Amino acid sequence: MESIGEQADKAQSEPYQPGSEADFERLYRDTYRRIFGTLIILVRDRATAEDCAQETFERAYRNWAAWKPDAPVEAWLHRIAVNVAISNGRRQRLRQAGELIRRLGRPDPGPDPADVAERSDLIKAIKKLPTRQAAALVLRHFHGYSNREIAAALGIPEQTVASRLAAARKQLQGVLGR
Amino acid sequence: MSDLEREMEQELHRVLDPIAALPIPPRRTLQNRRAARALLGGAGAALSLKLLTGVAVAAAAVTIAGTATTGSLNPSDWGQQVSQRVAACKAELADGQHGIGDCVSAFAQQHGAAVASEARHHGNGNTNPNANGNSNANGNASGHGKDKTHPTPKGQSGAVPTLDPEPVDQAGQHLPVHVSPRP
Repeated sequence: MESIGEQADKAQSEPYQPGSEADFERLYRDTYRRIFGTLIILVRDRATAEDCAQETFERAYRNWAAWKPDAPVEAWLHRIAVNVAISNGRRQRLRQAGELIRRLGRPDPGPDPADVAERSDLIKAIKKLPTRQAAALVLRHFHGYSNREIAAALGIPEQTVASRLAAARKQLQGVLGR
Repeated sequence: MSDLEREMEQELHRVLDPIAALPIPPRRTLQNRRAARALLGGAGAALSLKLLTGVAVAAAAVTIAGTATTGSLNPSDWGQQVSQRVAACKAELADGQHGIGDCVSAFAQQHGAAVASEARHHGNGNTNPNANGNSNANGNASGHGKDKTHPTPKGQSGAVPTLDPEPVDQAGQHLPVHVSPRP
């Protein structure tokens, strides 16, 4: 079985033509799993991650003709995906507030057992980080991006990437008691 | 690399690497999403509702109009009744008498009045006594052409035009008649 990293290496072998319908379809096939993988960490559950991944590619498709080949296409997609995840988080918080008000007085049903089985304490702790910090961690420690590449992907200065990573690690250490 | 970073990498790969084996779902296109939105919400939903309402109202109007005109939900009823009445009128004709216009016209007017009354009773709102279109629409109701009981003007032939073949003198016993102008 190919790992996600091997799939990414293969995807970068042929250049993409901005605006080309066929190339966008190829881009979708080549990068969907990596974008989906990032989103699984950034959002609440798998179904939400699938929805956010589709929204990411919808947004990318709308701007596909304007994409400049000098920037790495996957970094561009990750930038869109992180923005989609942040928007989703805002909507989620609003929904949770509404649900909390509706549930007042009722006992807490507790977490979904399937979710608990799938996630480790570390993954759960990463999910609780602010979306931008979690994105920096995933890009750094799963996709293997350098700080410069993360900066390009997220559209922030390299120094900001370093400070976000440091803050994320510190928070994880506090949560995990290490 | 710290222990935490190493553990993070291992854990992320453990959770996310199986995703590489998952099938890639079909890409959601903007057209699909717009179509779904048009059907399920917003102005599209309102327009669809209006269209459906319009179609339902039109269908109901056609059904009510048909019922009011024929007195039946079956649109072929009126035609059958007219055909039967025409045959009956022909049968009632005495020997040598021609024309069924009055007979059929009387039936049409009687039927039209009855159906219009029924339609008004059912709230159809059509108060025009000729609105059913039958009293003049069947072609014979106004007594045009075929009713020959009217006096024939002087100087014109009283022969009735029919589609029957001319009688033939098969025995050849009669001489041809020559008509000569009067002096």
